Amino acid sequence: MNKLLNKSLKSFTIYALIVLAASVPAYLYLVDSIWLRELDEHNEIVADRMENELNKLQLSETELNQSIVLWNKIQPGTNLQKTNLDIGRKDSTYTVLRKNPYVTHEDIDRFRGLLRVIEINGENYLLTVETNVEETEETVVAIAVLTFLFFLIMVVGFLILNRRLSVKLWQPFKNTLAKLKAFNLNSQSNISFEKSTILEFEELNVALNKLIEHTVSVYKSQKEFTENASHELQTPLAIIKNKLDILLQKEALTDRQYQIIEDINKALTRVSRINKNLLLLAKIENHQFDDSETINLSELTTECIEQLQEHFSNKDLNLKSSIDEDCVVTGNSILIEILINNLLLNSIRHNLLKGTVGVKLSKSGFIISNSGRAALEQEELFKRFKTASDESSGSGLGLAIVEQICKRHQWKINYEFRQDTHTFKISF
Amino acid sequence: MKILIIEDENELADSISEYLSEENYLCEFARTFNQALEKIESFNYDCILLDIMLPDGNGMKILEELKKQNKQDGVIIISAKNALDDKIKGLQIGADDYLTKPFHLSELAARIYSVIRRKQFGNSNTVRQNELEIDLLAKTILVHNNPVILTKKEFDLLLYFIGNKNRVISKSTLAEHLSGDFADMLDNHDFVYAHIKNLKKKLSEAGCESYLKTVYGTGYKWEG
Repeated sequence: MNKLLNKSLKSFTIYALIVLAASVPAYLYLVDSIWLRELDEHNEIVADRMENELNKLQLSETELNQSIVLWNKIQPGTNLQKTNLDIGRKDSTYTVLRKNPYVTHEDIDRFRGLLRVIEINGENYLLTVETNVEETEETVVAIAVLTFLFFLIMVVGFLILNRRLSVKLWQPFKNTLAKLKAFNLNSQSNISFEKSTILEFEELNVALNKLIEHTVSVYKSQKEFTENASHELQTPLAIIKNKLDILLQKEALTDRQYQIIEDINKALTRVSRINKNLLLLAKIENHQFDDSETINLSELTTECIEQLQEHFSNKDLNLKSSIDEDCVVTGNSILIEILINNLLLNSIRHNLLKGTVGVKLSKSGFIISNSGRAALEQEELFKRFKTASDESSGSGLGLAIVEQICKRHQWKINYEFRQDTHTFKISF
Repeated sequence: MKILIIEDENELADSISEYLSEENYLCEFARTFNQALEKIESFNYDCILLDIMLPDGNGMKILEELKKQNKQDGVIIISAKNALDDKIKGLQIGADDYLTKPFHLSELAARIYSVIRRKQFGNSNTVRQNELEIDLLAKTILVHNNPVILTKKEFDLLLYFIGNKNRVISKSTLAEHLSGDFADMLDNHDFVYAHIKNLKKKLSEAGCESYLKTVYGTGYKWEG
């Protein structure tokens, strides 16, 4: 994953590279033309001077000719030749590359030349003035090196700035992010973000605050609804139950009438249980349980198994338990007892006749397994009212409660089906 | 025996009273917190059924008031809340038992029975029915003065029947009583039948008359 600032840094760097690269020919053109213009000027000054000075000397023709020969010999930069060209001819300039004869290694120099027709003692001469000028390649190299140096400085600067900015500029964002990460809907506390002086972050914080407030309030009211609804249901349920008890006492009930009452009773027990379980779930989610008790899980598990002993034997189940001594956990004893009972009861209810139940408790975890025919659906398993198997008359909340209790204690629960055995594993 | 029912829900109070008055119980009602305070100040009851969620006050206060006045009335808290805190607090302040709504009237009757017995008979808490003698404190029984060994659950069932004499108690009610919260999670209630069968067998083998009758196929009734 890329950081946002690194992404902009990359673009900036590429842009800087393009601009700087494009500046190299521009600089070259500029420097070269300035060079050439200045040298033309220099050449003209030299030509003017020569014309004036030679005329001033008032040399005789022989002296002049001798001087010119000598001049041409020792002054390679300039050259005088008799010419038939008109004195009014326009000056011409040229650039030429020439080998340097005085060094041993290969060296080609560039010269800028000026051709002018001058008049000395009434005769027309063609004057050539040449000046060494820096070669294009050398200029290019110099400019490129310099540009690259600047580019490097720029990139290094970007990197340093980037690092500083990402720490400083993004601090409010990081604060917000950290708070969001730590936020837990269950804790029901609103987040208070730090005030930011940066418009975008402030807007983000305001929007997040609004979102969270809304979510928390919806969540709260939903949970309150569950809790209130469950509470409100208790009394009418109690009335129905009691009225049935009274009805049962009336003389002269037929067997059929008794059976109906009994069926209603059973359904009622189930409704009461669903109701109680919903209430329990709401309470777990509302953190209404103290979870700082120290619990001897080994003793608790043994007790729970003992209580259910007759139900194991009723179904001819083969119980294989291996319970390590003194497994101690921190949590809520009521919830943990519910957890163990729910799992044990599931292992009885969803077992085959003469099946096997395995209970294994160690310091690292609790494993409970039972015989079965088909795997249960992993995803539906822990959801409320999603019965993962069809032979069910339970509340549909047992495993949802188990999962909630595990979550509450920060334990992990896994389900596995292998070799005709359902296995639930809780890792502490 | 005088019972005070402190309960704001009329239907519930009526049902309780109807069920109990067929025994030797005389029921009085208090629908509000203030009525309840008046009644406990003026009279003594053998047992008080206390709903702690009253519209005009917390039932816990009534419990505190009772203790302040040093009254010896037995108290059973009836609550729609299954909050353990309330339960512990209630029992600490001096309630004798705690029952969560919804409950069976037979369950309530059995609890009232044992609370009253405990309160009033203290050290020699023995129930007698002809040749059968039950020591509630030691949890032992004698038939024709010979001890009969019962399991914990069998004794529990026997006591339940004694507290609901001449009442029809259905199998599902007994299942709820025996297995507590998870009766409905068990596919069948055959375990109830197994316990009843054993209890009957032990009693009759000791020469006890068969007071425990089966009615309507799967219901039970203790005659006496």
